[in-house]
Amino acid sequence: MILEALIQNWVPQYAKVIDLGCGDGTLLESLHQLKSINPYGVEIDQKKILSCLSKNIPVIQADIDESIRDFEGLDFDIAILASSIQCLRHPDKALSNILSIAKKCIVTVPNFAHWQCRLQLSQGKMPVTNDLPAPWYATDNIHLCTIKDFEMLCIKLGLQIDQKKYLGTASSETFLSTRFPNLFASLGVYLIGSK
Amino acid sequence: MQTSNKLYKFKEELPLTSGQTLDGFELMVECYGNLNQEKNNAILLNHAFSGSHHAAGEHNGTLGWWDDFVGPNKILDTNKFFIVSANNIGSCFGSSGPISLDKNGKRYNADFPEISVKDWVQAQKLLADKLKIQTWKLVVGGSLGGMQSLQWAIDFPDMVEKVAIIAAAATVDSQNIALNEVEREVIRKDSYFYNGNYYEHGKVPTKGLKAARMLGHITYLSAQNMEQRFGRKLQDQQTKLDDTINFEVENYLQYQGGKFADVFDANSYILLTKVMDGFDPSAEYDNNLVKTFKNISAEMLIISFASDWMFPPARGKEMLKAAIKANKKCSFVEFEGAYGHDSFLYAEDNYPDTISTFLEGKL
Repeated sequence: MILEALIQNWVPQYAKVIDLGCGDGTLLESLHQLKSINPYGVEIDQKKILSCLSKNIPVIQADIDESIRDFEGLDFDIAILASSIQCLRHPDKALSNILSIAKKCIVTVPNFAHWQCRLQLSQGKMPVTNDLPAPWYATDNIHLCTIKDFEMLCIKLGLQIDQKKYLGTASSETFLSTRFPNLFASLGVYLIGSK
Repeated sequence: MQTSNKLYKFKEELPLTSGQTLDGFELMVECYGNLNQEKNNAILLNHAFSGSHHAAGEHNGTLGWWDDFVGPNKILDTNKFFIVSANNIGSCFGSSGPISLDKNGKRYNADFPEISVKDWVQAQKLLADKLKIQTWKLVVGGSLGGMQSLQWAIDFPDMVEKVAIIAAAATVDSQNIALNEVEREVIRKDSYFYNGNYYEHGKVPTKGLKAARMLGHITYLSAQNMEQRFGRKLQDQQTKLDDTINFEVENYLQYQGGKFADVFDANSYILLTKVMDGFDPSAEYDNNLVKTFKNISAEMLIISFASDWMFPPARGKEMLKAAIKANKKCSFVEFEGAYGHDSFLYAEDNYPDTISTFLEGKL
């Protein structure tokens, strides 16, 4: 099961969806095609904003760190933070604020404790993997965490994990990735609500 | 590109939001490009407060105010699109306004009826009918022209496919009104104003109009832009416009104000600032912007400039939030803008590409 299909399963038909850190709008575009959602992207990079506009996906230029609360009271059903939480200055604040803008939130977290990361670190090098593709000097990631760390933060913030999937390197669930996620899942995918 | 204008005469009455009626009116219009057979490539371009129908190309030696954006292979490509640009009623560049003659051949002067942005849209709708245009691919404008574009999307949802609202807001704020009132007062206090009937006295209140424009001009720039451009540089002795001038910025404002006062009409200035102050599309919808936007079916693009202190990005976001709350397709893009409020006039950064990508749906 690829990541996008997974996210699609959690997004209801006609949902009003905000994708925080939407990049070039690919995910919103496919959700729009498959689920007829009402999409809104949030992106800071103007080149990516142009890509969204070229796909006819509405896009809002904003810095997620500073602007999540700007989207309060606008009736979003789902907020998506796909592989962008580790780029935020205050991931904890973002997580607790995000449920004030949408009923549910989908978060994906690249797992820094995946065996490939551990192996590369044991060789004395910063990990470069499919889910963490940039070398250390060119990455936007400033707050990397592990699956265990993330789930502990959710408990601390009183957030309820409604659904979770642990994906291996091929973006699909495997026996090992579901059995020993903190070692074998390269990406954790969560559907979160408040308690 | 050489352009020419055309005067469209309307014999029908135009009922105004003020309750008064214009007994026939005229619009001075420039069009660029060709309307295709399907009549689905038309774009409406709305000018700002003191702008005119002359948006592109060269006419009598002057380039249009958005020439960087409008022309063959430009952002609004005249090889593909038919672009309509009309001087608004109440202005002084050929459309009906205070300097026009009424039915009895008497100049309106200060008695020209009170006008609203909504009236402009109604007048442009009649122009669209005359041009056999049923839908606009895009309605676009900056500043007061952006507000007019928004009013179009609200009043004629079936006619507007896309709307780009640039350097604008859903209303002007108290400070804007205050500055406009100072500008009006300066004009009224010119001894040649004669309650607006100056032409009957063979005079023109140029000094008041010039001073008003100088104040207005400051609000169109940004503090940073002025600092970079002029700083505290002293004006060169040989080129200073009068002896009281010390700094370059003074000379600049004197020159710009003077140039403006030579071509603009004082009654129009007062009338058009009133149009701006009165702009409030939500007034018809219980002062609720979300409710106001419910009718819109156009895809919306809102562009703000960080250096614009007349309509800063927060005012753009106010429209954005109302649009999202109303479940409308709406994008918001912000640029630094090197020229303050006037940044909408200049093709810089990704600003032009943002408009063309929004319009054409491709990079």
